[in-house]
Amino acid sequence: MYAGAGVLLWAALTGYLAWPALPADGPWLRALALALASGAVATGLALAACAALLSAMPLGMPARGWPRLLPAFLALPHMAFALGVLLLISPSGMLVRFLFALLAPLQALLPWPLDAPPDWQSTQDPWGLGLVLVLVCKETPFLLWCALAQWQRPDLAQRWRREMALARTWGYSERRAWWRVVWPQLVPRLGGPLLAVAMYSVSVIDVAWIIGPGAPPTLAVLAWQWLQDTNPARRAQGLAAMAVLAACTAVLAVLACAAYQGWLRMGGRRHWSGGPAAMPPLAPQGRYVPHSPYSRALTWRPRLAYRTLAAVYLAVAAALAFSSVAGAWPFPAVWPQQWTLQAWQLVAGSSAALGTTLWLAFASALSALALAVALLEALPRRFHTALMGLALCALLVPALVWAWLLQTGALALGLEGSVTGLWLAHTLTVWPYLVLSLQAPYAGVDGRLAAVAASLGRSRWAFLWQVQLPLLRGALASAGAIGFAVSVAQFLPTLFVGGGRFSTVSTEALALSSGGQRSLVAAYALLQWVLPACAFALAWWLGRARRFALPALH
Amino acid sequence: MTDTSSVPPPVLQLQLRQLRAPSGLLLQDFALSLPAGAIHTVMGPSGSGKSSLLAALCGILEPGIVFAGQVWVDGMRVDAWPTQRRRVGLLLQDDLLFAHMTVRENLLFAVPSGPHASRAQAVLQALAEVELLPWADADPATLSGGQRARAALARALLAQPRVLLLDEPFSKLDAPLRQRMRALVWGAVRRRGLAAVLVTHDAADVADAQRLSTLG
Repeated sequence: MYAGAGVLLWAALTGYLAWPALPADGPWLRALALALASGAVATGLALAACAALLSAMPLGMPARGWPRLLPAFLALPHMAFALGVLLLISPSGMLVRFLFALLAPLQALLPWPLDAPPDWQSTQDPWGLGLVLVLVCKETPFLLWCALAQWQRPDLAQRWRREMALARTWGYSERRAWWRVVWPQLVPRLGGPLLAVAMYSVSVIDVAWIIGPGAPPTLAVLAWQWLQDTNPARRAQGLAAMAVLAACTAVLAVLACAAYQGWLRMGGRRHWSGGPAAMPPLAPQGRYVPHSPYSRALTWRPRLAYRTLAAVYLAVAAALAFSSVAGAWPFPAVWPQQWTLQAWQLVAGSSAALGTTLWLAFASALSALALAVALLEALPRRFHTALMGLALCALLVPALVWAWLLQTGALALGLEGSVTGLWLAHTLTVWPYLVLSLQAPYAGVDGRLAAVAASLGRSRWAFLWQVQLPLLRGALASAGAIGFAVSVAQFLPTLFVGGGRFSTVSTEALALSSGGQRSLVAAYALLQWVLPACAFALAWWLGRARRFALPALH
Repeated sequence: MTDTSSVPPPVLQLQLRQLRAPSGLLLQDFALSLPAGAIHTVMGPSGSGKSSLLAALCGILEPGIVFAGQVWVDGMRVDAWPTQRRRVGLLLQDDLLFAHMTVRENLLFAVPSGPHASRAQAVLQALAEVELLPWADADPATLSGGQRARAALARALLAQPRVLLLDEPFSKLDAPLRQRMRALVWGAVRRRGLAAVLVTHDAADVADAQRLSTLG
């Protein structure tokens, strides 16, 4: 509570101090409103999609079928996804070309010509719809991944299965029982990730820059543009806008937590789920009530939600791959006039960016993994929640503010523009993700195993190397891949701490996104996806279950 | 003049002044002295401090539970020692075999030092004693409850403990298996000259009516 009040006070003070530096008649208030609205809508829709997808999954089961594709979805950086969507839905994009080719026989009946890109604001629309679309598609797999970490915990799965069975004896259908019993218990466990999604959506720069509204853009993009200006007055405005953004996100985070606590105190969860008073039996105990129309409706929705999501990702991947080898491609031709590998040759020629991306991602993922494991091992389990809170706080800081803090720290330590500074900046950026991804697997390891190992005369190190880490091998490999993917996707720490001396695949993609060669942009964006995808594939291979020999038959 | 040469020296001695949890006092002024082959049974309702007593002997007390007293194993005071030096074996209600290892590897974990051939030989011998040789390279998850319990016992004995602490180790087994496991454990304790402390709710588990404490 004190921490919340402190954050609120700090945020209010920062916002108050920064406010006068912003132009009174400028577009920043609309930019702030846009950021808040698009962030809120994207978070709500992502949560709804996550709920729809989860309701179709059996409790406690290891990932089978579509959940196994989640790492592939997560591996695609936001920026690459936004660029793919841009290639698809822009007025001269692939979807419009296909649509116009289908409509060509009806040209005489149509009021607009089909030989020029339509005057549609399908990207950079003033309402931020494109931005919301990208954020929903990107954040839904993240929320699902966080939910599955809870979902597959044996203790929780067992408890929820029992409660579901009890609800079934009261006459609730399986789906209905799921919504009344499991979902209300799962949502609070998703509070942290949900808050991180909301804060990220409000303060995202790359996606908003590529596909978000342009006049005005969201506040984060506006602040970033001002900070890059050579005029000192503009830079001061950028800092002020950044402070206001940080203040707003902090206030929102504290208010969201306070609202949730208040709701709990008023008995919200009891009212929503659980407890015989809140869940009146629908039928005499023991009598089975078949699926209600409500639950039947839910059986096709998850499939539809998943297929839609998978189709969007597939289309984005196809658009990136296709565009990266497309040569001259006048509108409204459905296919390019020529195919070329020129973009990939250029990418291969700029091996410095690729090399920097690779070593930086490897080094920061490994060091952040080591740091996360060291802290989780060194701290007693009762402090793991506090560690999670710390990691979550780091994720709640807007990306621009985080990069600025890293830059300030690097300047103070004399590390700006150095390899060490860049590595440290990426390690610190990656670390919170790894703590969050490892916390649930750590909680799932039976604490008594350490006692048994000690009673067998083995040291803590022996237990760590021979039992704990091998048991967590899959989770550690996944966390390493996540760290790698997060590092590959970073561009702000590279720009701010690297001092312009380093270029990575992400900084190149961003630089080219505003008017660069389409095939080159697509090639860099695809590379942004391929590198983490390789890391996830390696993680899957490293973390695969051990095959034991079958016992001899007797 | 009293002849003391026939009295075997105690393998386990406990002088407990206090065992205190955050919720209150669990146990006070409790003493044990167990010679080789002795099995002491501790019974009592849930929350009376039975498992905490075993945890205090083993050195694995939960944070917040305070033990005041002294523990000796083979005449050496061990209460300040870490668990791995106390030579105290532990068998719990769940077998807690390491899921990523085969049965053989689980047992090898308890024999860390020495030439590999002699370690492997010791493991094979232990597996043979509990009739698990055919399952040496099996996934522990594929074993039956009784087989898993026997594997856990073999692993605990391979570490050559002087004291065996048993926290309801038979409670999850069905009646015939329970009978068989009891015979196996009591036999091992007596044959190897160990001292054992058994926590149980089942009166049928009591091995020696002379050595029975009821807490709570």
